[in-house]
Amino acid sequence: MHELSIVEALIDQVGQELDRAGHQGRVLRLELSIGRLSGVHSESVRFAYGLLAPNTRVENAELVIQEPKAVCCCHACSVRTEIDDLVVQCPCCASSDITIEGGRELLLQSIEIED
Amino acid sequence: MKIVAAKNILKANDQLAAENRARFDAAGVFGVNLVGSPGAGKTTLLEALFSRLKGRLRPAVIEGDIAGSIDAERMEKIGVPVVQINTDGACHLDANMVAMAGQELDLTTIDLLAIENVGNLVCTAGFDLGEHLRIVVLSTSEGDDKAVKYPAIFQGSDALVITKIDLLPHLNFSVERITADMKRLAPEAAVFQVSAVRGDGIPQVADWLAEKCSRKAR
Repeated sequence: MHELSIVEALIDQVGQELDRAGHQGRVLRLELSIGRLSGVHSESVRFAYGLLAPNTRVENAELVIQEPKAVCCCHACSVRTEIDDLVVQCPCCASSDITIEGGRELLLQSIEIED
Repeated sequence: MKIVAAKNILKANDQLAAENRARFDAAGVFGVNLVGSPGAGKTTLLEALFSRLKGRLRPAVIEGDIAGSIDAERMEKIGVPVVQINTDGACHLDANMVAMAGQELDLTTIDLLAIENVGNLVCTAGFDLGEHLRIVVLSTSEGDDKAVKYPAIFQGSDALVITKIDLLPHLNFSVERITADMKRLAPEAAVFQVSAVRGDGIPQVADWLAEKCSRKAR
C-alpha cells in the first residue's frame, strides 16, 4: 500500500517532466533507482505500477529498476563493505564506529520517449 | 529520446512537508510526529503528557488512523483540540493529509502540535510531514529487537519512548539492549522509559518536550 502512493507520485512526476519538456510522445521506458535501504520493495512497485499505469501517460512503458547497495564505512578498521541490509556493526571487525553511505535513494532517473 | 530527471520520487511530498514546516514556524507551532506500532501506547502517552503540560503549553493533535475516530474522541474528552484524518486504508500519513488537517486548526492558539501517525513501523519512515521532531514509541511487550528489525524508523527519530515499563517484571525485555541499539542507530536521540498508568517517566518526557518547544520558540 505504501508502494501504491509512491507509484502515484511517480506517475504525477513523469507527467510534470513531460509537460516541462513539452513532450506529447509515447513513453517507452522509465528508469528508477530504489536503494536497498530505502524501505521500498521493487516487486511491490512493479505490482502497483501494473495497477496504476493503464490509462495514464506511462501506459505500456517499461519499468527499469536499479537497486543500488549501501556501503558500511568502518572508522576502526577502515574497511568499506557493500551491504544489502542496514547493519549496526562493521561486518569485518564488529566495531560500531561506522557510517552508512548511500542505499536510501528513491529516484526517477530518466524517461525515454518515442522520437 | 531520453529525459534525465534524477529527481526524488517523493519530491512532491517533501515540498509539501517544507510548506507545512514553514506554516508551523510562522505561527510559532512546534510539530511532533509520533510513530509506533498499533497498541504501542501513542494515544495514552499523549494523554499523560498533555495532562502534565497543562498550563505550560497549548497542545493540539492531528490523529491519523485507517478508520474510525476513537483516538480523536479520547483527545476531545480531555479538552485538546483535535482533527481526525482517516487514511482509508493507507498505511501512513503524508504531508498533504497534514496540510489539509492543519487548515482545520487555529494555529495561532497552539504551541505544540502532536501528529499521531498511523500505527506502523515501516511506511511512516518514508514520509516527512513537516514536523520538527519525530518520536518513536515502543512498548515493552513488542520486544527489544525492534530497532534492529525496523531500523529506518528508529534511525530517523529524535527520541525513543519505551512505554509500559510496569510490565517489565513479566517480560524478557532488555532496556539495555534496545537503548544500545537506538544509540547506534541514532546517537543523538534521547531515550525515555515510561509507564503512563503509573506515571513513571512522564515528567521527564514532558520537560524534554517543553524544553525543545521553547528553544524553538526563541
